[in-house]
Amino acid sequence: MSLGGIVVLLILVFWVGGGAVWLLRRRQYKANQIPRFLADLLGFPVELAQSMFGRAGVPYALLLPNMLIFGLFTFVPMILNFYVSLTTGSSISLFDRPWVGLDKYFEIFNCESIFEPKTCTNAGFNFWTGMFNTLWFVVIQVPILCTVALITALVVNKNIKGRGFWRAMFFYPVMLSPVVIANIWNWVLHRKGVLNEVVGGTQDSLASLAGLTGFDVVATVIFAVILMVVSERTLRSSDEPSTAWAAVFGLLLTLLFAWANPTSLVGLSGSLWLGAAVAAALIWVVASRQPYARIAVIGAGIVAVLLLLSIQFDAVFDFGRYRPINWLVTPRTNWPFFWLVFVFCWAHMGFYMLILLAGLQAIPRDLYEAAKMDATSQFRAFWRITLPLVMPTMTVVIILSLIRSFQIFDEVFLLTGGGPGRETFMIVQNIYEVAFTNNNPDYGQAAAGSVLMAVAIAVFTFFQLWLTRRQSDL
Amino acid sequence: MGAITTFLTRTAGSRDRADRFGIGDFLAYSYLLLGVLIILVPVMWTFFSSIKPERAVDSFDTRLAPIAQRTTDIEGIGERTIWEYHAEDGTVTEVFKAGPTRRITDVAPLDDPEAVFPAERVKLQPAEEIRVATENYLDPLLKRNGQENFLFGTYLYNSVFVTVAATLITLLINAMAAFGLSKYKFRGRLTFTLLIVATLLIPPSIILVSLFFVVWSFGIFGSLWGVIIPAAATPTGVFLLRQYMLTIPDELLEAARMDAASEWRIFWRIIIPLSLPALSVLAILSVIWRWNDFLWPLIVLISDPAKHTLQLGLTTFAGEFDINFHYILAMTVVSLIPITLVFVWLQRFITTGIATTGLK
Repeated sequence: MSLGGIVVLLILVFWVGGGAVWLLRRRQYKANQIPRFLADLLGFPVELAQSMFGRAGVPYALLLPNMLIFGLFTFVPMILNFYVSLTTGSSISLFDRPWVGLDKYFEIFNCESIFEPKTCTNAGFNFWTGMFNTLWFVVIQVPILCTVALITALVVNKNIKGRGFWRAMFFYPVMLSPVVIANIWNWVLHRKGVLNEVVGGTQDSLASLAGLTGFDVVATVIFAVILMVVSERTLRSSDEPSTAWAAVFGLLLTLLFAWANPTSLVGLSGSLWLGAAVAAALIWVVASRQPYARIAVIGAGIVAVLLLLSIQFDAVFDFGRYRPINWLVTPRTNWPFFWLVFVFCWAHMGFYMLILLAGLQAIPRDLYEAAKMDATSQFRAFWRITLPLVMPTMTVVIILSLIRSFQIFDEVFLLTGGGPGRETFMIVQNIYEVAFTNNNPDYGQAAAGSVLMAVAIAVFTFFQLWLTRRQSDL
Repeated sequence: MGAITTFLTRTAGSRDRADRFGIGDFLAYSYLLLGVLIILVPVMWTFFSSIKPERAVDSFDTRLAPIAQRTTDIEGIGERTIWEYHAEDGTVTEVFKAGPTRRITDVAPLDDPEAVFPAERVKLQPAEEIRVATENYLDPLLKRNGQENFLFGTYLYNSVFVTVAATLITLLINAMAAFGLSKYKFRGRLTFTLLIVATLLIPPSIILVSLFFVVWSFGIFGSLWGVIIPAAATPTGVFLLRQYMLTIPDELLEAARMDAASEWRIFWRIIIPLSLPALSVLAILSVIWRWNDFLWPLIVLISDPAKHTLQLGLTTFAGEFDINFHYILAMTVVSLIPITLVFVWLQRFITTGIATTGLK
C-alpha cells in the first residue's frame, strides 16, 4: 500500500469513526433521522471547526477540500513545472533528477533561426514546428470561430420560430466527445467517403449538363432573370435600398466575379476575393444608408451585366473528371489543416454562440425602441448599439476560445495524428509525445515546452485584452 | 388571395411586428437550415452507415439504405456472393461466380453448382437485399466473432464511475467553497477568490508533465482516482456557484442561526436546496466534461485496458481494427447514444443554464 493510501485510510477512519462518536455524544438522533445523521457526518470537519474556533473557523473548513485539490493539483504543478524543466533524465522520482539549469531551454532554442524549424536540433525542430502550427491555427481559427458564433447568435436571437430548437441543434456537437467527432469526420472525409461522393456527383452532373448544346444561352438567360428580380427588389422600396436583398445581390455578384474571372485580363488570380470585396463594399454602402447607395446598386448592376455577358457558362461548369481527394492525408494541399479548423468550429461553435446569445439578450430592449423612434437603420443600430454592448462578452469569448484553441490536441491527434508529415503537428502533441510516448521520456524538455507555451498563451491573452481595452476607450 | 399570402407568410411575434415573411427571414432560415444540415448530416450519416452490413461498409456504398449483396454457403465450395444473371430471353437466374471475373465470366446456378456456363459480365447484377446489420452492434457488445478486445461493459462502468464520482465530489466541494466565499467575511477572502480566478486562466495542458509527477507520487497514477481527483475542484464551478449564492438573502441564514442551527446544517438544509438551479447546471457541465475527457485519461489510464474509459476504449479499438469500419461506426454510435439522450432530455436546461451562467 502506498503512502497516499495509508493517509486516505487514516483520514477516513478519523472522519467516519471519530465523527460518529463526536456527533452521537452531542446530539440525539431518532431512527428516522439517519439521513440527517449521515449529512452531519459528511460535514463533520466543518462542525468540528465550528465547535473549536467558533463561526470564524467555518469558512476555512469549508474552503479546505477545494483549496487542497487546487493547491496539490494546480498550483503545485505550476511551480513544479519550472523545477522539472530545469532537470534532466527519465526518472519519475523528483529527487532523482539531475539539475541541468537552462539546458533544456537551450536545446529548444538551439537553432540558426527559430523561424525555420529545419535549422534546429531535433528537440527544437519538433517544438517550433508545433508552435508555429499552433500559432497559425489560433490566428486562423479564433476569428472564424468568433465571427460564425456571433452571426449564429444574431440569427438565433432574431424573432424566429422554434428558437429553442435551433439553439439546441447548434449546441449539440459540444456534447459529443472528441473520439466520436473524430470517428464521424474520419468516416465522412474518407477518400471513398460520402463527401467525395457528393462533390464528385455534383461536379459530374453539372459537367454533363454543361455539355448540352445551348446550355450557355439558357444559363445566361436564367441568371439575367435572377439578377433582374434581385436588383429590382433591392431598389424597390421608395426611400432606401433593402439591405437583405443587397446581401443576396452581393452573393450573386461574388459568383459572377469568380466565374467571369476579370483579374485574368491583367494576368492575376483571386477574382473570387475581388468579387467578395466588391460585394462587401456594396452591402456596407447600402446598409449604412450612404446617400449614393442607389447609384452604387445601379452601378453594380451594370458591372454584373457586363460580367454575365462575358461568362462562358459551359467552360465554367466543365470540371473534367473528378478525382477523389484524400482530405486528411494528402500533403502540401492544406486540406488537413482546413478540415481541422472546420471540425474544431463544428465542435465548439455552439458553446460560444450560447455565451454570445446571453450577451445579446442582456442588451436592454428600450435602446432598440429608442433607435427605432429616431428612424435609425438596422445596420446603424447594430453598429452603434449591439456591437459595443456585446463587446465585453465578445472579449470573454475571444479569450476563452484563444486559450482553448491553443491547447488543441484531441481532434488533431485522433483525426490526422499530426500528419501528413508534420503539417498539423500541434504543441500539446509535442509535449505529450516527448513526455509520455517516448521510449526514453524527456520530462525536462516537455516541461520546458509547457513553460514556453504558457508564455505564448499569456502574451496572446494580454495582447488581446490590451487591444479590446483600446477599442472600448475610443 | 392577398390576405391568404399575408397569413401564410406571417412570422411569430406581437401583432405590430407581424410583418410579412421577407427576404431577411428567408436568409435567416436558410442560414439556420444550412447550419443544422452541416451539424446533423455527418452524425446521421454515421448512424445510417453503422447499420449497414460489413460488405456495404467496406465497399463504401453511399446509398442511404442498408443494402448489401446476399451471400450463400455452397456445399463444397464455400461462401459466395449471389449474382443475378439476366439472360437474353428475359429469365433471371441466381448464380455465383465459378471463376475469375472477366468480360466473359464463368458462372454456375445456385441449385446446380456443377453446371458452369459462360456469361457476359454486363448481364450479371448483384442480388441485393435490405438488412439491418445488428451484428455490427452485437458482435463487440456480446464478444462474438472474435471481437473479445472491446470490453464494452468494463469501459462503460469505468466511464460511468469516473463521471458520477467526479461530479458528486465536484458538486460537494465546489458548493462548500462557494458558500464559504459568498456568505462569510474572513481574513483572506479576497486572496482565495483571486486564487480561484487565477486558476480559471491556467490552461490544464500546460501543467500536464508536472501534474503527472504529482499524481504519480500520490500513488493514484493508473487508477481511476487519478482521473477523478485532479479534475474535481473546478474553478468554473466555484465561480458559478458563488455568483449564484450571493443572491441568496443573508436573513435566511440569520433566522436559522437564531434557531441554533449549526453552520453545516445551514449549508445542507438551506443553501443547497436554494442553489439547485446553479448546481444542476454545474452537474450537467461536469458530466459533459468528465464523460468526454480524453487527454488526461489517455496519459493516466492507457497502459491498463481494464481501466480504459469508453473514449479510450473506442480509440484503441479504432486503432487496432483500422479496416473494420463497421464495428468502429457501430461503437461510435453506441458511445454517442447516452450523451444524445441526456441532451434531448435536458436540452432546455443545458442551453438556458449555460447561457445565463455562461462560462466554461
